[in-house]
This record gives sequence, C-alpha cells and structure tokens, in this order.
Amino acid sequence: MSEPVHLDESVHGDKPLLQVRGLTKEFQVGSVFSRRRVRAVGAVDFDLPKGRITALVGESGSGKSTIARCLIRLEQPTAGSVLLDGEDILRTERRRASRAYRRKVQMVFQDPFGSLNPVHRIEHFLTRALVLHGRPATRETLRELMETVGLTEDMLDSYPHELSGGQRQRVAIARALAVEPELILADEPTSMLDVSVRVGILNLMRRLRDERGISMLYITHDLGSARYLADTTLVMFAGELVEGGDSLAVMDAPAHPYTRLLLSAVPDPERAGGYDPVERARLREAVLHPTDCPYDDGSCSAETPVRHVVGEDAGQPHWVRCHLYAPAPDIAHRVLKTADTPDPEAENTPV
Amino acid sequence: MEPVLDVRHLRVEYRGDGRSVVGADDVSFSVGPGEIFGLAGESGCGKSTIANAVMRLLKPPAEITAGSVRFQGRDVLAMGAKELRSFRWREIAMVFQSAMNSLNPVLTIGEQLGDIFTTHEKLKRRAARERAGALLELVGIDPGRLKAYPHQLSGGMRQRVVIAMAVALEPRMLIMDEPTTALDVVVQQEIMAQIRDLQRDLGFSVLFITHDMSLMVELSDRMGVMYGGRLVELAPARELFAQPLHPYTEALMNAFPPLTGPRAELTGLFDAPRTADSCGFHVRCPADRADCSANIPDLREVAPGRWAALTGGGAR
Repeated sequence: MSEPVHLDESVHGDKPLLQVRGLTKEFQVGSVFSRRRVRAVGAVDFDLPKGRITALVGESGSGKSTIARCLIRLEQPTAGSVLLDGEDILRTERRRASRAYRRKVQMVFQDPFGSLNPVHRIEHFLTRALVLHGRPATRETLRELMETVGLTEDMLDSYPHELSGGQRQRVAIARALAVEPELILADEPTSMLDVSVRVGILNLMRRLRDERGISMLYITHDLGSARYLADTTLVMFAGELVEGGDSLAVMDAPAHPYTRLLLSAVPDPERAGGYDPVERARLREAVLHPTDCPYDDGSCSAETPVRHVVGEDAGQPHWVRCHLYAPAPDIAHRVLKTADTPDPEAENTPV
Repeated sequence: MEPVLDVRHLRVEYRGDGRSVVGADDVSFSVGPGEIFGLAGESGCGKSTIANAVMRLLKPPAEITAGSVRFQGRDVLAMGAKELRSFRWREIAMVFQSAMNSLNPVLTIGEQLGDIFTTHEKLKRRAARERAGALLELVGIDPGRLKAYPHQLSGGMRQRVVIAMAVALEPRMLIMDEPTTALDVVVQQEIMAQIRDLQRDLGFSVLFITHDMSLMVELSDRMGVMYGGRLVELAPARELFAQPLHPYTEALMNAFPPLTGPRAELTGLFDAPRTADSCGFHVRCPADRADCSANIPDLREVAPGRWAALTGGGAR
C-alpha cells in the first residue's frame, strides 16, 4: 500500500495526453552576471489524462503559473521532459513551440482585460486564430464558436471594452477553441472576474470537457472551484507537488500538512468548531520548516520524500509526498488522528 | 446604545447629460460601537458607493440626492472642508480595494507611516519614527522593515502596512472595501485574523465590504446584502447564512463552489442589467410571482432583527 507510485502506470487505462517528467525551472536572480538562482519549479512529475480536468492548486509564488508557462513554451525549462504523443516537445521544438504544437495546446490567461488587443473587434481575434492555423474563417464557423462559449453572433462586431469581464474571458476561450485544441491550459481564468460570472465560466469549461473531450489544466488558488471542476487535484508547494489524487478525496481527506493548511485557510462558516489558530500555527510550522516539523514522530528524515499512496478513489491513487506516510499505512492513520485530537495512546507507541 | 454610524434613506445618483443612474437607493443601516458590519453583493450593486458616500469621497457626476449619514450624532453630509479633514482618518479610516498599490513607491514605509504623525499630531520626526515602528509591530511586521520600500514587501505585507496606516490615529471606525481580494487564501486568512485582533484591542467598529459571503459570515456580526443599489436583506450574519430569506442572498451564497458536500451543478448569478421594467433578477428568481414588480420592494422586518425586501405577505 505504501510503495511509491509507478508513474508509468496510467490511471485511466489509455495513455495520458501529456506526460511531464522532472520539469525544472530556475530563474537567475540579480544582475546579468549573477550566479544566484531561484528554483521556481523543482523536478515535477505529472500526467494530464485525456478528456479530464486536472487542477493545480497552491498559494501565490508556489510555481503553478511557471509550470503552465513552461508547457505553453513561454519559458524555457531548465531541465525535464514534456511528452506529447510520445514525443518530447522540449527536444523536438527546442526554442519555441511550433504551430503544430499550438494547435494541440492552447492557453487562457488570467486577465481578460489584458489579453485582448483593445483596437481590434472580437471578429479579428477569432478570424486570426482560424487563418493562422489554416481553417476557413467563414461567418458560419465564427457564429458556431461564439455560440459554443455562450455569446451571440452580433458581439463579433464589438470591441473588447464594450464587453464585461466574463464576456471577454469567453472570447479568450473561443479563441483557444478556434484551433480545436486537445488541451487547454487555464491560468486562474476566473480570479479577475466578478462573482456573478465565475460559475458561468466554470460551467463552460465543464461542458467543453464533457461534450468535446478537451483536456484541461486548471490553475487556481480557489480550492472550492478546483473541487467543483476538476477530476484530479494536484497540490503544489514551493515549486514541488506534495499531494495529488481525486479532487473530492484530496479535499475531504487531505494528507499533507500543506494541503491541510490551505484548506484551513478557506473561509467556511459551516466548518465544525471554526478556525483553530493553534492547529494552523502548527501546520504553518510544518510547512515552513520541514526539517523541524511538529508532526515529526521520528520517521522523518532529511531526504527528499517520495510519493506514497494513502488511498484510492474513483480509480485514481491518492498520493502524498511526506515522510509521515513512509511506513505502514496504520501509522499514517495514527498520525492524522493525533493531529486532529490528542491521542495519548499514540504517543507511547514505538515507531 | 447609540450607533457609531447611522445611514438613513441614502440615495446616490450618477448624473449624466439628461439622464441619471441610481447607484444606491433608500439604503438604511447602522453600525454599533465595536460591531463588525458587512455589506455583500456583486460588482455594481452599490456597496462601494455607500462606503464612498460615508467617507464623503464621491465626486461628480456622483451626487448624494437624499438621505442622511450621521457619525456619533454628527451630520457627515453637512461637514465643511476643515471638519472633513479631521473627520477622515481620525474618526473614520478606509482601506481601499487596491490598497496594496496605494503606497507611494518612492518613499520608504517609515517615511509614509511617519508622515501621518507629523501631519496629524504635529510630532517631531524622531518621535514620529518611533510611533511608526510601534505601528508596524502592531500588525506583525518587524520594525526593521521601516527602511524598506513598498516593492520590497510582499502583497500581504503591503496590505498590513495599509491597515496599520488606517488604524494609526485610532479611529472609531474602519471601512474596508474588499481588503483581501488580490491575495491568496493563506494570506487572506492571516490578514483577517490580524483585523480581528486589532478590533479586539482597539475597539473600533468595522464596515466590511466584500463579495465573498463565506468570508463575510466568518468575520461579521451583522450583515446586509445589496442588489441593484438597494439593500435586499439585513440580519445577524450567522442567522442569514443559516437561513437566507431573500432569493438573491441565496443565489449569492451559491455563487461559490463549496468545499464540502456533494458536487452539484451550480447556476451562478444572473448577469442581466436592471432595466426600467425588470429588477434584473426576477427572470432567474425562484420566488418569481405574479405580484413581482420592476421595483425592488422596501425592507421590512420579517422576524426580530431580520429584515428582507420581499414582495407579498401584505406588509408592503
């Protein structure tokens, strides 16, 4: 039960659409001659299965967006491989993405107010995407695109400033759809939008998955929306993936201290007992000083933890990278128990 | 007990050439001493208009056309320029939505905090600097960071600095307009805990504005829900959350995917504008009835302490 996950074993039977292995991105800090480097993403492994939505959650600065920018080839990764149809695109397309790659992978950005050029009409954005990728830009195609994302044909003649934030984000999604991609990378697509339109965008993404089988990487810090939208949730902390699995399983039974910290920070009036500052301080300590973790029961070591499976839900392994889960599974349960309620028996048990 | 802030029948209009748009209409509420009062609603519902009206920050074309705002018995709307200067900041302070970016990038944190005391309390620079250090400590930042420039601080720290500035002169009331919208959940939680601590220590009242219902219910004592420039519900926060009376309140609560329970499809809010013959919401309103009219009805007390703008029931 507790052996490391074999990544090559596919979760859903067939081969995943995109396989990311050992993806690393370091940024140079300081002047041009500086040797100082910051590791934004450290050797990350994950799969994006076909026709599924995978959420990548974590706080600001955890490296979520850097992963998306590496995948869409806006950043050059320092190391690693990204396999699409068995081909490592970092090798075959060394400098930047080819048109063929962009036809398969598209991106929707966070800020719909900045991603559409204000001097062009909506028609221009869609026509350009179609023409660049060799598809006929007939009125019929344009109308279809607009209707798919829930807009009307007459909006084609509008300028971006005439549309609301939600409508603009729909245009950005229509532009991505114009090339009929297999994968859409969505970087916080709803965080700049008003509450009144957020659910509409989430529902649109859901529909695109269900009706067109488009895979998505949904990047967000809103855990509720990840739970609502995504089949799989990956939790990122300080450039590394620390937990992953079925979205409901990860949210309902978080294993890693960091996931629990994230979840405890979400305002939720229905949470029994409310917010517990003492427990959160402990979690924070565990997250910030991994070598001095208050959950350490002697099983921790200075070595980088490997993935351990703690459960299986909806055909997906629920894994966590934390030394706490290294030994037998009953210890994992016991540690969780001590964290929730002090259990005198557990403390006396030799490890 | 006499309320700190008492807003009665406030109406704000944005006047253009020959036509006007109502930003807020017949809004009445009061905030007691040491109370945290929340105003919730989507963009454009008028919640920020109310905050700006209370601070007397509205500029043309916005105009207060009816109603009254009283702060500890004084008529805010009748204040002159000089009176306003001491009223703002000393009695009532505001943390703006984009507060993180409201710090001056070319001055150090220490200079900006010190300015408050040299200007308002006529302190010497040295004394002002000491007070600035104490102020930073109050919001949990090392006073050593006084020499830092805003860009050297994280978003959460900048937000704390702005909150420190707002409470510097120990005002009776703090208005916060979406103070954590640009921050991620962990930082948001820390800032909120900070505000609660400060509120307990300094005893000020808070008018808290956000669209995040969960956050609001966690923090507020009482809250109002605004829609289309009008208050549609007013109640103790926990009671409102447990049992919303107005369909819009319920819709707003369901606009956020929950972290618990089954994964059910959400419908979101209706984004049609309010027009002359429709309240804009009644199209989606589950309580749509024949006696619905274009106007959002007035608030009426449905149960002790609970007010809702509902049609029917004979009270209109």
